[in-house]
Amino acid sequence: MTIPMNSGKDCARAWEIMPWALQATAPGEQCDWLMHHLAQCEACSTEFAQQSRLRCALSLPADIPVDADAGLKHLLERLDAPEPDTTPARLWSSGNRLTRALAIAVLVQAIGIGALGVRLWSDQAPRYHTLSQPALLEPAGAFRVVPATGMKLADWNKLLHDLGLRVIDGPNDVGAYAVVPIGDDVSSASALRRLRADRDIRLAEPVDDTP
Amino acid sequence: MNESTSDVDSRDRMLIQRMAAGDRTALEALYRAYHGGLCRFLSRLTRRADLIEEIVNDSFWIAWRKAGSFHGDSRVSTWIMGIAYRCGLKALRQRGDQPIDDYAMREGRGPSHDPDEDRELRDWLAKALEHLSADQRVVVELVYGVGNSLEEVAAIMQAPVGTVKARLFHARIKLRNVLPTLAGDPPAQQENLS
Repeated sequence: MTIPMNSGKDCARAWEIMPWALQATAPGEQCDWLMHHLAQCEACSTEFAQQSRLRCALSLPADIPVDADAGLKHLLERLDAPEPDTTPARLWSSGNRLTRALAIAVLVQAIGIGALGVRLWSDQAPRYHTLSQPALLEPAGAFRVVPATGMKLADWNKLLHDLGLRVIDGPNDVGAYAVVPIGDDVSSASALRRLRADRDIRLAEPVDDTP
Repeated sequence: MNESTSDVDSRDRMLIQRMAAGDRTALEALYRAYHGGLCRFLSRLTRRADLIEEIVNDSFWIAWRKAGSFHGDSRVSTWIMGIAYRCGLKALRQRGDQPIDDYAMREGRGPSHDPDEDRELRDWLAKALEHLSADQRVVVELVYGVGNSLEEVAAIMQAPVGTVKARLFHARIKLRNVLPTLAGDPPAQQENLS
């Protein structure tokens, strides 16, 4: 930073006061002090003269011709014009493409979430059944079968496969499985007979006969 | 504030009150009272006459709509200048423009009917302001041209007083170094201020 030389604090003080003295807003005693200083300091006197000229130049009317009457006419026409819609329509027209894109993205997401919710709500019954869920109602032709405790899983699977049966439920509290014939060509009576004949099957009963 | 400034502000406050009540003649009076000063102020930001008119009208559009919310915390002139400054920056931003950096741009300057002395003074000023940033030009205009205090300039530019003071200081330093040269005089002797 630089200030005029050859006076130290007085010149710095004069520098501070000059703009406000030119505005005539500096206190009277400051103005008096400044005038006294300027009379003794050539550098500050020159600086003050430059600033006076600057103020004079800045006080000149604008050098760009702008017609006040035409401007006022335009303003009054604007006041008489229909009030622009300040709500969403104006938001859409005024602007910002990014805002619009974000709004559309949010809308699409909302629609997607809504559709997903409706679909989930409509799927009341799951398409699977866990073994911990209560027993299903056995269809006609089903058997309850209790395999022996020592029966191997491979033997159990082979027996079911050979007889054309599949497990639909179980085991229940007493170890009984519900099985049904896989196809129409499987004879229930024959399957029941062969189940009962197997040494690893402790019990085989048709569900329909269950009291 | 001197008496005439006080009188002007009292007149302006009356006009604002009437504007708040929907009086268009008050708007017209205020428009005409401030048109010249605003145009000169805005010419420190842009040299485009059409843009200056648009900014002036935007400013008075806002003043018309907000007249009822003017509580007199500042002078009316400070309030209007602040609106114009923000409208000016917004208008320039919307057009992707920056406040003019090349103040020597001659478009629209210098009506041919200028007295020679005025024309010489304008040229001198234009060359001097060319060395300042837009913010510095605005501060110089508000302090030397309009006659605002540092606090008023800070309110207009929505900047801390310290920032305004620094801008004014640096602008004055630059001007002090170039003005004598522009006038054909050697620059004043300087020393560093520690």
